[in-house]
Order: sequence, then C-alpha cells, then structure tokens
Amino acid sequence: MGELRRDPVVGRWVIVETEHPDRPENLTQEPHVFKQEGTCQFCYGREAQTPPEIEASRLQGTGANAPGWKVRVIPNKFPALTIEGQLEKRGVGIYDLSNGIGAHEVVIETPEHRKGMADLSDEEVLEVIRKYKSRTLALSQDRRLKYVLIFKNYGESAGASLEHGHSQIIALPMVPKYVLEELEGAKHYFDYRGRCVFCDLLSQELLEKTRIVVENKNFLAFCPFAPRFPFETWIVPKEHNAFFGDISDEQQYHLASILKETLRRCKLVLSDPAYNFFVHHAPIAYEHKERFHWHIEIIPKLTSIAGFEWGTGFYVVSTDPDLTAKYLRETK
Amino acid sequence: MPELRKDPTIGRWVIISTERARRPGVFFDYTETAVDSQNDCPFCAGREPQTPAEIHALRQPSGPANTSGWQVRVVPSIKPFLRIEGDINRRGHGLYDVMQGVGAHEVVVETPQHIANMADLDTHQIELVLQTYALRINDLEKDPRFKYVLICKNYGVLSGGGRIRHSRSQLIATPVTPVRVKEELTVAKRYFDFHDRCVYCDMIRQETTTKSRVVLEDSHFLAITPFASRFPFEIWILPKKHSCDFVKENGQNYSFLAVILKRVLQKIKTGLNDPAYNFIFHSAPFRRNANGTQWKTITEDYHWHIEIIPRLTRVAGFEKGTGFYICSIPPEYTADYLRGVVI
Repeated sequence: MGELRRDPVVGRWVIVETEHPDRPENLTQEPHVFKQEGTCQFCYGREAQTPPEIEASRLQGTGANAPGWKVRVIPNKFPALTIEGQLEKRGVGIYDLSNGIGAHEVVIETPEHRKGMADLSDEEVLEVIRKYKSRTLALSQDRRLKYVLIFKNYGESAGASLEHGHSQIIALPMVPKYVLEELEGAKHYFDYRGRCVFCDLLSQELLEKTRIVVENKNFLAFCPFAPRFPFETWIVPKEHNAFFGDISDEQQYHLASILKETLRRCKLVLSDPAYNFFVHHAPIAYEHKERFHWHIEIIPKLTSIAGFEWGTGFYVVSTDPDLTAKYLRETK
Repeated sequence: MPELRKDPTIGRWVIISTERARRPGVFFDYTETAVDSQNDCPFCAGREPQTPAEIHALRQPSGPANTSGWQVRVVPSIKPFLRIEGDINRRGHGLYDVMQGVGAHEVVVETPQHIANMADLDTHQIELVLQTYALRINDLEKDPRFKYVLICKNYGVLSGGGRIRHSRSQLIATPVTPVRVKEELTVAKRYFDFHDRCVYCDMIRQETTTKSRVVLEDSHFLAITPFASRFPFEIWILPKKHSCDFVKENGQNYSFLAVILKRVLQKIKTGLNDPAYNFIFHSAPFRRNANGTQWKTITEDYHWHIEIIPRLTRVAGFEKGTGFYICSIPPEYTADYLRGVVI
C-alpha cells in the first residue's frame, strides 16, 4: 500500500510501497548453483567448441580460438537473429512481418567459470566494457541495423541458460518499443522545457542525495524514484551524451568501477541475486543528440511479473527506493 | 530463419525464432512445486472468518454473510496494491509526479471447494465466476474516482499466484487508465480511423479463414495463438460478435464463454503438464463521458478479449530492455499442438 509515482521519462505510473516496504531479507531468491562446469564451452581451454571468435583481448603471441584470452566475443550459437541476407518486409493480410536480420553476439567476460561480474577486478570489467564499445561501433556501421542492445542475464531465474559469466549484444533492424518510448518521452520533455530529462534527473538526485548508491567522477548510480522492480538501480553518465559508443577512455574506466561496485553491493545486500542489466542509448545515427542520454538499468530478479503488471503496464514495487538506496549505500 | 512479426493490435514487434527451439531443456521444465494443505486454506468453505469481511457473495439459498453456503465469494485483498479510502491528492516532487494509491483490490474466490485450477471447475461454476466479475465491475463503476478495472488471474507460484492452491482471481480498480490499456485503445482507434473497421474483427476474419492459428472455435467465440505471440502457447479468446466491453455482454454469452475458457484451460493443463499461467481480460475502460474525448468511437473500434499466458519460459534481459519478445515456437505449431490435445 502506498504511493503512485510517475516515471518522468516515459510517463509510466508505478505503485511504490512506502508504508510497509519489504526489507532485503523478505525478498526470496533461488540459490546460485553451478552445474555446468564439466561441459562449459565458455571455459578456458574449450575455445574450439564455440563458434569462431569475432574479437578477443589476448596475451601477445596467442592465436584466435585458443587459450591466452581475457575477454572473448563470439557469435551466439543459437542466434535470435541472423546476420546474412537482406531485410525483406512484407504483409500477410492485416499482419506485417520481415525476416529476422540482425546480429547476436556473446561476450565471455572471464575465463573463470565461477566468477560473476561482481567478483571481477575493475581492470577485468574495464576489458568487458571496451568490448561493448568496440562491438557497438562495429555493428553501427551496418546500414541494415537500427539499434544495438547490450545486456546481461545473470542467474537462471533472470533467463541465463549458461552459468559462465557472459553478456550479450543484439543488433536489431528496428528500434525496440521501450527505447522508442524513452526517446518519445525525452523529446516531449525537451520540447516543453528545452533541457534533457536525464540531465534534470541527475541534478535532482544529486541535490536530494537520498536515492544515491555510488557516485564517482563521471557517473551516478541511484535507485530511480519510480522503479518497476525492487532494488532497480540506474547508472547514468554525468556528462550528456546520447550514444554509448562515444564513451571516452576515462569514462570507460569510471564506468567499470561504478558498475562493479554497484553489482558487488547488490550481491552483498541481496545474497547474490539473479539480475539483468541493459544499456539504453540512442538508435544508430539518431539525429537529436541533445534530447537523449545513455544509461544502464540494473534489475535484480526478486519478484515474478503477475497478471496485474501484464494487463496494465502498471508495476507494483514492494520496496521504497530511498530505502533500497540506503541498504546498497551502507553495506560494507 | 527467424521471423520478425508485428502485432497489429498494439504495434509490438516480436521475434519468432524457430532455431532457438532446438536449445535443450527450454520447455516444460518448470513444473509447479508449491504444496499446501487443505487444512489451513483461508479460502475454503467454513473458514470465512479468516479472510477480511466479504464484499459480495453468491449464496443460494441465501444466508448470513461470512459464513459457509456460498458459491462464489469476493473479499478485499489482504495485501492490497491500492486502497479504497482517501483522496488521490495529486502533487509534484521536483521533476517527479506523485499521487496516493487509491483504488480497489478484490479477490474473487471461485469455488468453496479446495480446487487449485480453474480448468477443474465445472462450466456452470465458471459461468457464476464470470457473472460475479461483471456484477462487481458494475458496482465499482459507481465510484467516480476509478477509471478502469482489471480482471486477472495468477495460477501457480511462477505466475505470481502465491502458495495457496485455491482457485481465485483478482479485480483491481485503478484511478488512471493504465498505459497498456491506452496503447491498445490508441492502436485500435488509429486502425478504425483508417479503415472504418475494428482491427480485432479483421483479425477474427483472417484467422477463421487461414485456420492455422485456431485452437478452438464455436458459434460465439474464437481461441487463437496470436500471429505475433510473445510467449510459447500464448492464447487469446475473442468474442466473434463485436463488443468493446466484457461487462456489457448478455448473460447467454457468459455461458458460451465459460465453455471455451474451460476447454482452453484444460488443454493447457493436459497438454503442457499443468503449468503456471496468467490470464488477463482486456476490456474498455469506464465511458462516463466518452463522447467529448478522444475515445468517442471506442464502442466501434475496440473489442474485448482475454489473453492467457502459460509461464513456460523466463523473461530475460533482452525482453526487459527492449519490450521486444523472442518466442521460440511459432504460434502455428503451438495451435496445431493444442488442437491435438485430447481433453
């Protein structure tokens, strides 16, 4: 029971439990178990079992698809979209369809099977972020594609079918709905106020401070005022920029540090929860750079979406973001 | 070769990915593990004092409230999302907008017996439940603070249904028209403005002609796996006769609806090993002053329907990040499979 709050970007109302919010220990999660070590194709020494690598960070003198790597990028063995062919859109009666052109890549974040991103060093996370950047830039060259989504599923209940630490990059021939909604909301705000809504959000969060989890030179991690999920956390660059691919060397360094720090705090407070994160940025070749601001959304998987959320798009959140930020901020 | 398909009723693209169906262990591996005891179920006949006082009950013959002898019973939720008392109190907080959580959250207990799945209720009992939905919504419409009432059901732990295995559904009245409903209304209106026809009526015509996605069909209703399904075995039930509002259906249609709803739920239970599922009624919002608004053609352009989602796969980062769904079995295949399930 609590308050209805409206997300200032997309205008989505959520119901936030402010009177009797859940504590971290009320939110149950499945224990993290490792069952695939013996057969894991992402492990060191089994490089030949994956599709040939697209790129990798390697020790000097080591060859492709052999040991000696720190981070590897490979095509997904079971891609949701395929890279070959031309995009052909057509109609069948009232329905519209097209063939599934796009890219689906996997970033293997570490040679070590049991290490989650929260357990890596800042330097190791930095190496992963460098791959996100280089793949985003490379895929942005493909004229058939409109959007590059970087995301991670950690834990079975968050949809990870393989337990070895990895993230995924899917490049799409159309801009996905949630990104369109954010672009639309940001445009609306910009037309009305002449400023970027995310920049204004940063100012308010820095002023109020109650929802901040971690802050460093280039980034702010905070629990949004109108979250969809308990312990939802956003990481937003302080400097306005629409494209993730434009991230500077210094920003990459600070992003690695704040991402790792935020995930480590989630792991401590919520006993190693399953989670998803994804990068939202402007579509490829988006012209209105002044309106949009890239960011990362981290969503611990602590609840199931039920009929009410499916039916209304209204989310019910059993935690108060002021308190979730406090738990995350104060954990040692 | 994967295919991108667009849902004409909401404009959402999905990826129908035949390749990924080959991944090992993707289906039927989330069996329901909740166990509970009939001995302490608060929804069973005889334990009425364990729930909050009833809002409504169907009792024949009539008897005192909060005692046994009822067929269908409606009680307030003990963990309400929204609360009936108070003012909406709209206000701003810097950049953010806030209002109080005013609304109603009711639980419809569908049977006095300890039966878990609506699929196992008899057709007449389901009809009584459908009539109860309509009766409650008509009552909630009298409260001018409410714009919409959602009817939904969460069956099984994976669907958010809790651990007590006693068949029940929920009615939630909201003080704003939910965004998901608005999206559907907007797309339906746009289609109507362009074609002067209802998009759902057109869909029904196309589906009954092509037949490849039809699960069940009778004189009044059609059950299909939608062209741009988000989930494997997603099913929609649509009335063949155009109508925007479930509540304004005549009583005879509830008896036909009870028959097809039970048969669809039975096919899901039998064919998919009794999975968790959600169902959601999509029906027009209250139309107290619709004439002066953008929704003035709503009775012609919108078409109520039920969406049923078996919870067989996990929603992962891609879906959460994009609103783009990857469905790993084409709906033509799932319709064919469900048609073959003997109930």
